[in-house]
Amino acid sequence: MTTATLRTFGRGGVHPEPHKRETATFAIVDVPPPAEVWLPLSQHIGEPATPIVGKGELVKRGQKIAEGGATGVPLHATISGKVKPLDKRPHPTLVSAPAIVIAASGEPAELEWIEDPGWRRIDAAEALARIREAGIVGLGGAAFPTFRKLQLPPNAKVDTLVLNGAECEPYLTSDLRTMLEQPREVVEGALAMARLVRVPRVLLGIESDKLVAAPGLVAAAREALRVAALEGVGGVSFEVVPCEVRYPQGAEKQLVESLTGRRVPARALPLAVGVVVQNVATAVAIHDALRWRKPLLDRVVTVTGPGILEPRNLRVPIGTLLSHLVSACGGLRDDTTRIVAGGPMMGRTLPRLDLPVVKGLNGLVFLTGRGPLETGFGPCISCGRCLEACPLGLEPDQVSVRLEVGRTLETEPYGPLDCYECGSCSYVCPSDRPLMQFMQVAKSALRRAHETGIAR
Amino acid sequence: MTGPTDQPAIAPAPVATAQPAEPEAAPRFVIAPGPHVHAEDSTARIMWTVNAALAPAALWGAFVFGAGAAAVLLGSLAGALGAEWLAARALRRRATLSDGSAFCTGLLLAMTLPPQLPGWAALLGGAFAIAIGKAIFGGLGFNLFNPALVGRAFLMASFPLAMTSGWSGPRPWFGAPLDAVTTPTPLAALREHGLAAAFHAVTTAGSPWPALVLGFRPGSLGEGSVLLLALGAAVLLARGIVKLTIPASVFAGLALVTLAVQGPSAAALHLMSGGLWLGAFFMATDYVTSPSMRSGQIVFGLVIGALTGIIRIFGGYPEGICYAILIANLLVPALNLQFRPRRVALAGGTP
Repeated sequence: MTTATLRTFGRGGVHPEPHKRETATFAIVDVPPPAEVWLPLSQHIGEPATPIVGKGELVKRGQKIAEGGATGVPLHATISGKVKPLDKRPHPTLVSAPAIVIAASGEPAELEWIEDPGWRRIDAAEALARIREAGIVGLGGAAFPTFRKLQLPPNAKVDTLVLNGAECEPYLTSDLRTMLEQPREVVEGALAMARLVRVPRVLLGIESDKLVAAPGLVAAAREALRVAALEGVGGVSFEVVPCEVRYPQGAEKQLVESLTGRRVPARALPLAVGVVVQNVATAVAIHDALRWRKPLLDRVVTVTGPGILEPRNLRVPIGTLLSHLVSACGGLRDDTTRIVAGGPMMGRTLPRLDLPVVKGLNGLVFLTGRGPLETGFGPCISCGRCLEACPLGLEPDQVSVRLEVGRTLETEPYGPLDCYECGSCSYVCPSDRPLMQFMQVAKSALRRAHETGIAR
Repeated sequence: MTGPTDQPAIAPAPVATAQPAEPEAAPRFVIAPGPHVHAEDSTARIMWTVNAALAPAALWGAFVFGAGAAAVLLGSLAGALGAEWLAARALRRRATLSDGSAFCTGLLLAMTLPPQLPGWAALLGGAFAIAIGKAIFGGLGFNLFNPALVGRAFLMASFPLAMTSGWSGPRPWFGAPLDAVTTPTPLAALREHGLAAAFHAVTTAGSPWPALVLGFRPGSLGEGSVLLLALGAAVLLARGIVKLTIPASVFAGLALVTLAVQGPSAAALHLMSGGLWLGAFFMATDYVTSPSMRSGQIVFGLVIGALTGIIRIFGGYPEGICYAILIANLLVPALNLQFRPRRVALAGGTP
């Protein structure tokens, strides 16, 4: 591990107030058992799961309750209890969607998880099957089914697994706490993935304000590599690489550039430059799935922000209602105005608290007072700050002024199609212009125009 | 679990746990696109910071040059603010007085004017600056030229005599007024009578530097004290509102031309003119009328500096920065087209 110079990406980025202190030192605690969980059939990118349990059935925590289709993943009961009739429930991103509801009843027994002693030596097909059966999706927020991400196209040439521990969003500390408290699982999960995609090295990118987690990870890596060598599955290196604290350090493209110096082409995946990226919490889930065949049942959620009375890092069964998390954190202040699912840069606002925790929810930030965009926005004053902030070298100012006068198709040269919506431009705009939304609007309009042949 | 988590929440959300979909309940929580946090700087905050950075030099000018200068200052501000208010009303735009931009225009214009200009002329200039320099283009963000300099150019064209003979030596508020009502500015002296005369015009007690740095010398209202202008500029640099790129390029451009033509002493005098500092740090850096990218800003600054030198040496005015900036403003759209950010990685490109 080197600490001499911090790695970082070449261009743009911003430095929002980190607000990590509110929760960084709080160990992950279990939320009190919820009385009910709502498990939406769609919690991932891909087709929704198909229920295999019926109304009134008693299920045990850990039991599979819905099958994943070709592109989706299965779903598991996260508490023991009785299945209620399948019904539509509020959903954090889909507004309302079918969910399996389980009401806690009887003793809270859980299926038993038996260690597979040979888990490090299983072949790739078996590993992928276990990962898929465990219902694992990317836990950094994207919720893309992990087995699909690890199932590389036959012609793919990869040489690096990047483990994303950057956690560049303000306020969130769930990945930090995971790295501090479960370094062995993080490392073992990562090494298992490296073996699965056959790469010789793992690079764990971590922002320099989280270096407190580095010694534990390095020690865990040394031990895991020793064991792996004994079992004859060595040949993978593991390096913890400190990166500059700079948003969006944790964006795939930026982290890959910081760690490997390779630039992922616009609109391409890191795969294009030989890299697979996985989040640290996903690595833990993969460890559990391979070693114990244990499905993804819980996740860590940072509940924080000025609106919550007692910020915490909670481990919660998936499907637990947000209102339950709020109760576990002392309740809300009266002046709470925004509930943000995820970090405040890229997270989405939620309208209500009777929503379930889904697999991709890494944080819940309660903000108070008036936020950006509530008082309208001003004209572009050409200050150039968005140009400086964009990590991709796009021109949100040009896109916005053209959209404002209805010249949508003329925005294409300024890059909206390449934008992955990190929000840095909106963050810095002194006129409060919703530049990221202008980029979104231009992007979807241009895509539609291309599809319908209006544009070239 | 640490803490009283089994107690009911203090302010439970308006939610009944198992009660689905209560549509259109009172919207307690804001639904808005992200990001949900914002950098501290706003346009108004930037503008008022610029105004605050200019204020010491402007007030010092009013102090050094006396009541007439104060009238110019107030007249210009009143003209600019009045026109801004009227324009917003007449064009049914939202009120923009509080964004500090019109105030900035009025302040900047006053600082470029001769201290003995009649107050009503300053008022007219301020109104013209906003109405013709900014409002008819569409308001803040849409103007092509620096509004304050549009106002100054208007006054130069309309009141050439008042604009060029209103220079006076320092006229303190207290004590005997100085007799020289019409005194050449250092740059005018340099132009008409050469280097020695220029230094003579600013020399007190055997040294020209106190006059140049502190402002006890003939000149326009706000250009007297290079020290106070530099302090204001330092504030803007420290706050990140202005970057050194444009001012440094302006200085470099002027230094190159004056060194080549007139030699080092004259170049030093040129660079110590407060008008240059005022223009380079506070006018050429106007976001709206300068290029957005650093590379474009370098060209823009060099053009201003070089043009200033050319106008001062070969042109019709002893101070050239006003027209130099206005001409360079014309280049901004072209510079913005030419100097654009480089894409980090194009689609389909190789790493």
